[in-house]
Amino acid sequence: MTLQARAQSGSSAEQPERRFTDQRISARWFPLFMLLPAILFILVIMLFPMIYSLYVSFTPYELLRPNSLKFELARALRNYQKLFADAIFWKSVGNTIVFLFLSINLSYVIALGLSQLLARVTQGQGIMRTLLMVPMMFAPILVGFQFRWFFNANVGLVNNLLYSLGLMQERGQIAWLVDEPLGMFSIIVASIWMNLPVLTIILLAGTLSLPRETFEAADVDGASSWQQFRYITFPLLAPFSYIALTILSLDISRAFDIVRIMTDGGPAHRTELIWTYVTRLAIENTWFGLGSAMSWVTVILAVVFTLYFFRQLVRSRVVR
Amino acid sequence: MMRVARLLLILFVFTLGLGVHAQDMGEPQYAGLDMDLSGINIRMANIGGGTYEVMYESIPIFEEATGATVEIVALLDGFAIDQKLKVDFATGAADYDVAWDHTSFMAQYTNFLLPLNDFFSEDELAAFSPAIMDAATVDGNLYLIPRHADISPIHYRLDLYESEEIAAEYMAATGEELTVPTTLEEIDRQARFFVENGHSTFGYTLPGREEALTGRFYEMHFASGGSLFDENWEPTFNDDIGVAVAELLRGWYHDGIIPVDTTDLLWDGVAQYFCNGDTAIKLEWYGWYSTFQNPDNCAISNNFGLARGFTGLSVGGDAVRPSGWAGAHAFSIPATAPNPAAGAQLIKFLSSERVAYEEAQLGYLPVRNDVWDRIIDDAAMAENPLDRERLVLAQLQVSNDFKTPPLIAEWIPFSNIFYPLMQAIMLGDVSAREGLDQAAAETREMMADAGYYG
Repeated sequence: MTLQARAQSGSSAEQPERRFTDQRISARWFPLFMLLPAILFILVIMLFPMIYSLYVSFTPYELLRPNSLKFELARALRNYQKLFADAIFWKSVGNTIVFLFLSINLSYVIALGLSQLLARVTQGQGIMRTLLMVPMMFAPILVGFQFRWFFNANVGLVNNLLYSLGLMQERGQIAWLVDEPLGMFSIIVASIWMNLPVLTIILLAGTLSLPRETFEAADVDGASSWQQFRYITFPLLAPFSYIALTILSLDISRAFDIVRIMTDGGPAHRTELIWTYVTRLAIENTWFGLGSAMSWVTVILAVVFTLYFFRQLVRSRVVR
Repeated sequence: MMRVARLLLILFVFTLGLGVHAQDMGEPQYAGLDMDLSGINIRMANIGGGTYEVMYESIPIFEEATGATVEIVALLDGFAIDQKLKVDFATGAADYDVAWDHTSFMAQYTNFLLPLNDFFSEDELAAFSPAIMDAATVDGNLYLIPRHADISPIHYRLDLYESEEIAAEYMAATGEELTVPTTLEEIDRQARFFVENGHSTFGYTLPGREEALTGRFYEMHFASGGSLFDENWEPTFNDDIGVAVAELLRGWYHDGIIPVDTTDLLWDGVAQYFCNGDTAIKLEWYGWYSTFQNPDNCAISNNFGLARGFTGLSVGGDAVRPSGWAGAHAFSIPATAPNPAAGAQLIKFLSSERVAYEEAQLGYLPVRNDVWDRIIDDAAMAENPLDRERLVLAQLQVSNDFKTPPLIAEWIPFSNIFYPLMQAIMLGDVSAREGLDQAAAETREMMADAGYYG
């Protein structure tokens, strides 16, 4: 082969490789290009307001005092200092933790029980599942009004039921939305009622997807129903449980509407949650600086909470 | 024969007198129609819902007479319109010529409103109740023109005060005659008597949350000679008068004189207790009158009377005065209005004698003296004498006792500090002194942050 021929054959061998590289570059940038509108949208709609609210949280900004939107290094941390020295803020944080812990865990326990019962229903399962979905059809604000009426001391369903059953001597003796800890109990009951459908459906789907052979083998080995649930169903449901709990923990802030209608954090801050308190500060009082600071603290708490659940979710998958 | 002739003569004179009186009053007149506003589009953001919107049905008359068009850009309930105004004012987006306003909310808007003094003549302003106009004026600037007002008289169950047995029982128990109460201490004694002797489920009711509780405390404190703030805006509601009022409320809650869910009640809940006949005495807005008089809805229908607001606790000494927490819905002109002069003409029309009279016929309390005369005259023909007595009493209260909350932009933030602590006092979580002192300290910090102390 002559030198020229070699050179020609070499150049013809490089040609397709270069084209291939160009394709790879375009293949790499093309999806990004297609995603650009969505990325820009997210930047404008979410990132910019978040950064702006972070900036506002370092200012004394009040909505009706436009000149107060001014950053001063000397008082940049004043909102955070006020917040951390505010006993009501810490009370609202404590109440929120109690509310989340009880609402999510009790919802899970009840939904787990319901899903096991539903999995054993042989007839009318479709109707049962449809009925189970009913709470999902109500907007949280309607759930709030509904349970506010249930627990009304004067004309509420619960007090009238107790009176009719002879468990109460006079009408309206129990102030469900006022007394401690009945106020918190009432809003947790309403929240659980709203949470149940999603949790139960996910856990029911998980239960129905479990391998039958395992349970048949357990039957042969003489395992009781409880032992089958404790040592087979519950561990195998772990991934479904963590998915359901993660969805619920992200969705639980919808309970704000319920609390706002039922107690609005009162009386005397007894049922104050982070959401009701930040609404009072930022929206009612128009203290946007302080409200933004509180929102950021709330966001950080929510991120920590969510990360915890995701870690548990990943761990449960590894175990499986 | 002579007797019949004399009777006819009296009837003739009486009829003549009525005719002359009616002629004196004449037909109520519109105003604001004397300017050519052809080609101008007047934009208005106002309160809506229910009978609030009936007034706006007269706007085509204004449009036809002036050549202007009126565009209603927002009709929202009180809470929602307040939120809209705040956001629009803060962002400079209040591109309308007439805005809803209220005497209790006005102070937070004043930086964003035009003073109205130059748009209205002295004669035009003289038609309105002076007490309300005082409440609408800050540093000599008039910021709103009132539309209709409300204030609270004492409501009491008639059967309790007309029963001779109950009166005798009360005399035996207290050594006093049972008459309609005029002081807070009389209310306390009678409310306790009615509950303790099984004549009424509750002796008194009041709303126990949000601005409603703050306002009712303010009213009792004011009637007892107190003041929420001194002339330097230092909180003074934690004085001995404030503590006495707070202890009264705490005692009522503890002793079952007021309902167990008081701290959960707002206006509708409180009205329901009275409507059911479960409450002996209470302060209530005149606006609930038609609800209470409806026999289909309320057991209390035709079984209640009205009286002027109470004077406060004797701890206030000579400074005690009648209660009179009041408010008025109104119209204002935003500073960013494109056509403020045209907006003022529309306000003149909507607050004119004719339009105000038509709205007063729906049951709202008027703010114009000439309209008061007309509706009191109309009510003389009503079957229920209370219809007229109510109006005479309301005019007396609006003219003499009308008292708004302090005209500060921080009224709602102050209320959000105050009412949870007042609830804590009532529920027994803290003592009256501790709770009020804490509220005063937090209020002072808020006022300092807002720049009240230099």
